[in-house]
Amino acid sequence: MATALPTGLAPSGLRSTWASVRLSVLQFLADPQWLIPSMIAPVIFGIVSFELVVGSGPYYLVYAILGAGMMSMWGQTLYGSGWATGQDREYGTLEPTIQAPSPYLYVVLGRVLWNVISGLIGGGIVYLVVVAAAGELPTLDNPLLFAGLFVFVMFTLASVGIVLAAFYVYTRYAGFIQNIGEFAFYVGTGCMFPVIFLPWWTNPVSLVFPPTWALDALRYASIPGYQGFGWGFGVDLAGAAGTTAVYLILAHQVFRRVERHVLEVGNLSEY
Amino acid sequence: MAGAAPGFWRNFWANAVLSPRTTLGFMRIDFVLGTIFVIPLMQMAFFAFVVQLGNGSVAETAFVVVGNAVATVTYPSIFSVCQTTDSEKQQGTMEHLLVSPAPRFPLYVGRGLVPIGISLATVTVGLVYAFTVFGVPFHLSAVGPLAISVVLSAFAMVGFGLLLGGVALYLRTSIILGNIFLFIGLLFSGVNFPLSQFPGPVQYVGDLFPLTFAVDAVRDSIAGAPLRVLGLDWLYLSVSMAIAIGLALGLWRTFERRALTTGSIARF
Repeated sequence: MATALPTGLAPSGLRSTWASVRLSVLQFLADPQWLIPSMIAPVIFGIVSFELVVGSGPYYLVYAILGAGMMSMWGQTLYGSGWATGQDREYGTLEPTIQAPSPYLYVVLGRVLWNVISGLIGGGIVYLVVVAAAGELPTLDNPLLFAGLFVFVMFTLASVGIVLAAFYVYTRYAGFIQNIGEFAFYVGTGCMFPVIFLPWWTNPVSLVFPPTWALDALRYASIPGYQGFGWGFGVDLAGAAGTTAVYLILAHQVFRRVERHVLEVGNLSEY
Repeated sequence: MAGAAPGFWRNFWANAVLSPRTTLGFMRIDFVLGTIFVIPLMQMAFFAFVVQLGNGSVAETAFVVVGNAVATVTYPSIFSVCQTTDSEKQQGTMEHLLVSPAPRFPLYVGRGLVPIGISLATVTVGLVYAFTVFGVPFHLSAVGPLAISVVLSAFAMVGFGLLLGGVALYLRTSIILGNIFLFIGLLFSGVNFPLSQFPGPVQYVGDLFPLTFAVDAVRDSIAGAPLRVLGLDWLYLSVSMAIAIGLALGLWRTFERRALTTGSIARF
């Protein structure tokens, strides 16, 4: 196979991840319904939000682009990770995959990596559509810092995706979490508006999610006079890094426990 | 037609009762409760906060909140109903259905009964959120017209879901169709901003979908519009429902005939 990494050079985990990325790309191209959560939905939400905030200040475009871009990534994370495990279960391929010598985490990692890439592509499409609709470029003092932090936001989202994917192995409620949780996550993390718009008592719940911190940091860095959490850019960045690390550790632990548990009870294929 | 009537109702009722457990999507109790109580609140809050970000007025927030309360009917009416076709194909029951002598009207429309009930509940809960959580002004005299508007909206939207289910008979999956019409609703049905913001011909795209009339009817009911205006809204809703169900049955008949001729319709 021309695209596979040479066996002697790559550890088995990396090879599994690479194969998973490759398969995810092929499935994405073969099944056009993935375009909906990753690209079409965010473009529509971006345009609707742009229409609602148009003319409200020089940085309204940044909000529309950032929010819709994040929704693109989140759509991919939520649908891509959850759906993939659900489909494995439905098609009967989850059991052989879990029983394979490579940990399932590496397979999921490949899917999440592709989710990050396709989310970034979706973000790029959102950017082009919203800029075309506005007829102007967004006001950015430091485009490089914005781009770097945007990728960081995607990374924090990916960490949530990995944890969710771990739970999806165990739960049959992936569809429920996807459909019911979609708007709740958009609201809870303040993806299209500052999270301080929400009642104060919801803030602890929002802060459980790494993207809340990362988005606040990104807005502090790119929107002069932005009013987010009172602690400012530095703490936001540290909070994002810290919660992301916790999520990655959690994902690792959950995967180990879940894999062991489902192999013991043997109910993996039930759905 | 003494012999036909019991068969009709038995067929209608059997499909109404069985379909939530077999072919309709999103019909587990957790899904249903989430659809009724969580999705409307979150979708309304999302767009209300976006309006707040744009320094929108109280009237603009009310406009968006009511529009989205009605738009959430899309989930139980379109998503769940149009998936019946996918479910039949995936479960391998499509062939049996196609060779069944059962009359099609009670068979297909019976499947819409439970989604109509859930659609009613979803819009009602959404409107209760609008009045209680988001402070949309409401007068008790609007209860009657509002109830009629909500009931007609639920029927019309489920009729539209059945129509999409008919189209899905020919497609590989109905999810794409459901999503496309969810987004069309958000853009072209006047859910989030007046259609007058669009250029001329685009304003009329929304007239092809019952959601546009549903949103108008509910907004006019809340505003205490005269019966002349409301009557027109209800007439549009009723006509769009009749057209959708008529087209749905026509599509099913066409594709059934094609299926029986080619033997390929159960593919997915």
